[in-house]
Amino acid sequence: MNDQTQELRITPQPEEKKHHWYLLTGIIIGIAVGLIVTWLLFPVVYQDTSPASLSPAYKEIYRSTIAQVYAATGNLERAASRLALLEDEDIIYALGAQAQRALAEGQEKEARALALLASEIQAVIPVETSE
Amino acid sequence: MSRRRRRYFFFFAAILAGLALGIIYGWVINPVVFRNTGMDTLRLDYKTDYVLMVAELYQSEGDLASALTRIAYLEASSPLAFVTTCIDYAEQHDYTREDIDLMWHLASDIDNALRTGN
Repeated sequence: MNDQTQELRITPQPEEKKHHWYLLTGIIIGIAVGLIVTWLLFPVVYQDTSPASLSPAYKEIYRSTIAQVYAATGNLERAASRLALLEDEDIIYALGAQAQRALAEGQEKEARALALLASEIQAVIPVETSE
Repeated sequence: MSRRRRRYFFFFAAILAGLALGIIYGWVINPVVFRNTGMDTLRLDYKTDYVLMVAELYQSEGDLASALTRIAYLEASSPLAFVTTCIDYAEQHDYTREDIDLMWHLASDIDNALRTGN
């Protein structure tokens, strides 16, 4: 009997291998707390953005206003620097496409202003494909 | 340190590590990119330039209703106070006298319209 008892005492306990699950639990709780803080308690508030981040609909309003101001004032330098804020990949294409949409919607004055600005900028900016 | 205390220590350390992972993911690996925002979220200098555009158009068209509609994209509740804020910004940031006068002209006509109710 005594010999058997000693053998049982020496055998290592299997629960040693379960110890590290609490680390994973801690990390998951940490990430969950982080998400609760960033999504619920202090969610992202959009402020101090630039015109480049505007939704497509608002970009069209911004672009149209620039074109109409150019049609009224003729200040191309100012119009070009304002258009640059929108960070369009192709400024002339963006103006032309919007002019066509405006024309299709019956907004002739707006379409004319957009087309005028597109043609004036095209005349000033060197065309890369012709080089 | 007892085994129980050590486990608590590492448990809370793991929570902090999880928080750090969340923050690194949110700020470095996949930071917020502003897309599809509204015009009311623009920075004050961009708003001021937009108000200047509205004032330039108002000078040319003389259509106060259109001007107010355009300003409403930025601030609908109090257009006069908003235009005045933009004028203050313009005066503090070396806008030309001509541009500031255009904005004052717009503000003055908005004020008159609000007083007379037209």
